[in-house]
Amino acid sequence: MIPDKSPLLEIRDLEVSFDLGKRGFFSGRRKQLKAVDGVTFDIRRGETVGLVGESGSGKTTVGRAILRVISPSGGQVLLHGEGAPLDLVPLGPKALRPLRPRMSLVFQDPYSSLNPRMTVRDIIAEPLVVAGLMRDRESIDARVRAIAARCKLDLEHLRRFPHAFSGGQRQRICIARALVAGPDFVVCDESVSALDVSIQAEIINLLKDLQEETGTSFLFIAHDLNVVARISHRVAVIYVGRFAEYAPTESLFFHPRHPYTHALLSAVPEPDPDLPFRPERLQGEIPNPADAPPGCRFHTRCPFARPRCALDVPVWRELASDHFVACHYAEEFDFRRSREPAGTTPAKEREIP
Amino acid sequence: MLTVENLTISFRTDEGRVTPVQGVGFSVAEGRTLGIVGESGSGKSVSTKALMRLLPGNAEIAREARMRYTAKSGEEIAIESLKPNARALRHLRGGEIGMIFQEPMASFSPVYTIGNQIMETIRLHRGLKGRAGRDLAVDMLDKVGISNPDARVDQYPHELSGGMRQRAMIALALSAGPRLLIADEPTTALDVTIQAQVLDLMRGLQRDLGMGMIFITHDLGVIAHVADDVAVMYLGTIVETGTAREVLKSPAHPYTRGLIKAIPRADRLDARLEAVPGDIPSPSARPAGCPFHPRCAEAIAGLCDRETPPEVTLGVGRRVRCHLHGTRAVA
Repeated sequence: MIPDKSPLLEIRDLEVSFDLGKRGFFSGRRKQLKAVDGVTFDIRRGETVGLVGESGSGKTTVGRAILRVISPSGGQVLLHGEGAPLDLVPLGPKALRPLRPRMSLVFQDPYSSLNPRMTVRDIIAEPLVVAGLMRDRESIDARVRAIAARCKLDLEHLRRFPHAFSGGQRQRICIARALVAGPDFVVCDESVSALDVSIQAEIINLLKDLQEETGTSFLFIAHDLNVVARISHRVAVIYVGRFAEYAPTESLFFHPRHPYTHALLSAVPEPDPDLPFRPERLQGEIPNPADAPPGCRFHTRCPFARPRCALDVPVWRELASDHFVACHYAEEFDFRRSREPAGTTPAKEREIP
Repeated sequence: MLTVENLTISFRTDEGRVTPVQGVGFSVAEGRTLGIVGESGSGKSVSTKALMRLLPGNAEIAREARMRYTAKSGEEIAIESLKPNARALRHLRGGEIGMIFQEPMASFSPVYTIGNQIMETIRLHRGLKGRAGRDLAVDMLDKVGISNPDARVDQYPHELSGGMRQRAMIALALSAGPRLLIADEPTTALDVTIQAQVLDLMRGLQRDLGMGMIFITHDLGVIAHVADDVAVMYLGTIVETGTAREVLKSPAHPYTRGLIKAIPRADRLDARLEAVPGDIPSPSARPAGCPFHPRCAEAIAGLCDRETPPEVTLGVGRRVRCHLHGTRAVA
């Protein structure tokens, strides 16, 4: 399904801080860690947005802040529906409650996210029961069976307990549970990362099919770029709490504008020994968000960094239509990647005057 | 330098005997890297742990198994017949065969400094104590690309980042001067940019030191760039072997073909992924005949579900266990 252009969620300057406790005994100031620092993007109806980043970059925090599992310290999360868009950020638990069935979450580990004492049927039915959407057993059963069948679960298995299932089957149960209440928006947080390659492909295909049928929007968080490429309409790259780039999947993968995106893409080894593997050499590792570098956060590792990068925070701007980037010098880079032969051909860097 | 034949490992469990590895054979030559690829339950880790005799007490290695290792001295060691507490075994672990694990935090002791742990290895395997040992430890940390090794040597594992810890782990394994290095998913827990750094480092070190290496991974992308030879495992058996190019470019076994097709690659964004149907069976419920037949689109009814396919040689070092090749050879 081609997502229509109307936004479902608009995220404006989202900020999430965590308290690290007092800095020292005598200092009254509390040290704060800004896990997400000014993130702006939107998610359209029926669209899958991929969110990639290294560990510690804040990708999970973005997902949870949008779902209001945690409370953002600033910004807006506008949920569109009938009538005027609703900002989720100032809402308290009570006000959020009726909105909960519209949003859900699929976790990474299908082993720890299913209650071992509940039958598969009860697990899938729980969101309906909790939200009080349905009361009589027959209609709940009918709904559970319908969604289970869509997720290619054997209906005979509904009476069993989760321990009897393999990782791929468990993840299908998690997906069924997430979709049972008919949400508008689902966050998949590394939902295929724990699965074997041969199983992973099936889950990716299933998610695509389900989206086509239901028109649900997904935020698909993952560290595996190729997985994200396959499932997303648009992809955002996050680095230490800030977005580096956000663009339609094609442009992001074949014409990235941010040096970090380019470095990430070049570091993925393709399963073909004839392709040269020339990862962009990045110095060191991702900085600790509690001690984030000033200016552009990537400047400490960026092979193209210039003095200005250490001083000014790059503005989040629309470089080309629908292609957002936060880099002072994005116009000067040409990281175009060729399609044939596939994979990592080294990017040509234009002379920087 | 290492030849393994007929390796069968079984575990006694409460639910009966489970045999996660069945009749596995492979060899590693000096200066070459053997990549072992497989998904969960394929037995890739268990079979290499047997090489170090690191299996738990309820494990049994079948009598017909042969694990022959040629030591630095030129002496041939029969690993399967070493006594569990033999001096020779202690020397073999670390001194001859080094090992790197996926989770470096679990392999270091949290209560000793990195330097302490590397120096212990150096003392045991190289007999260097005090200043000399410390100097070598600093030298090793420097070699694996840890900046400021003089200070790092006195740090505890928790003070290092994930990538640094994995580098320190490599330094630890190499400080004993092994001839063969077993790396069990060494980059799986790392981010791609760090993975690229560590892979680069390992290839460089191997070239410089002329070590043999066994690299275990589930990632065919990684295999393509580190391995010379590849063994593909499925449910405890090696289904296909060959050079990395042969296996990845012209896979002979339906499982390998399925695995390669199932990998999402960024070059064909719109195409649908081809999944391998079904689930990986548990090693305790291994299907009869060819273990892959319930998921195989090309399975021959009456043959693949009954008879274990024989190993068919397709070329030098190129072997496959599949009836499709067997029947072709007969016809």
